[in-house]
Amino acid sequence: MKFPYLKEAVKSLFSKPSTENFPKEVKEAPEGYRGKIAFYPEKCVNCGMCIRVCAPGAITRTIEKVEEGDKITFQFYMGQCTFCQLCQDFCARKAIELTKDYLMIAEDEEELMVRGTFIKKHHLNHLYHLQSQLLLL
Amino acid sequence: MFEKLIEKGLEKSAWLYHLNTGSCNGCDIELVSVITPRYDAERFGFKIAGSPRHADIIVVSGPITSQSKDRLIRTLAQVPDPKVVVSLGSCPRSCNVFSGSYCVEGPLDKYAPIDVSIAGCPPKPEAIMAGLVRAVEILKEKRRAMK
Repeated sequence: MKFPYLKEAVKSLFSKPSTENFPKEVKEAPEGYRGKIAFYPEKCVNCGMCIRVCAPGAITRTIEKVEEGDKITFQFYMGQCTFCQLCQDFCARKAIELTKDYLMIAEDEEELMVRGTFIKKHHLNHLYHLQSQLLLL
Repeated sequence: MFEKLIEKGLEKSAWLYHLNTGSCNGCDIELVSVITPRYDAERFGFKIAGSPRHADIIVVSGPITSQSKDRLIRTLAQVPDPKVVVSLGSCPRSCNVFSGSYCVEGPLDKYAPIDVSIAGCPPKPEAIMAGLVRAVEILKEKRRAMK
């Protein structure tokens, strides 16, 4: 007589269940997972490459004029993102990063927004020019 | 006494209805993997129902195509009233890469208020489970508000 699955049956009697105990143990995503976007506004230079490269158009930018220069706000809408990582690859200053955070559950749009604001000073170039002239003198 | 028991039973067994409105199949595969032994969402009481008339939670995936628009409206109308609409993935929330297409008439907010949205393209099974658990909490609140 043959018991084809006897070994497997005895083994599984003493092994742990294969079900993951999800809400109690949250597993980390594997290396290279493309999850929620993190934006570092202090590194951004406002070249707009990420906006050009984004296929669904999830990245928007608003520019406000303030005294020191331009107040620039980047918005990344996670409800429209395809998580293709093109914005991270094309960012010259590495200001965009796709993190391993995958639990993105929201009840309204605002929770799915990732925002970053920085001020780009416009007379910095002018100051630099002045300084170089002074050095020449 | 029995009413309380029934109420508790209803809370612990939310039935899902999966509605595909032109999805690319990515989110659908992830939703099916949620009921496999590895993730096993049935320990929270979820069950995939075959009819919208039996469902409490409607999981919508895909941007709403013009072919599926009428079916979406008809299906949502058939669901009995304390219902929760869950948008699965980016597509029902904003049409994703299909926005502006001539055959897409989304997003889903035009036709029904979205209660919970699970972002991701597609979301991980863990994220789907967490979203469904949130949906059950909302369902509880809605049931209490109806009394």
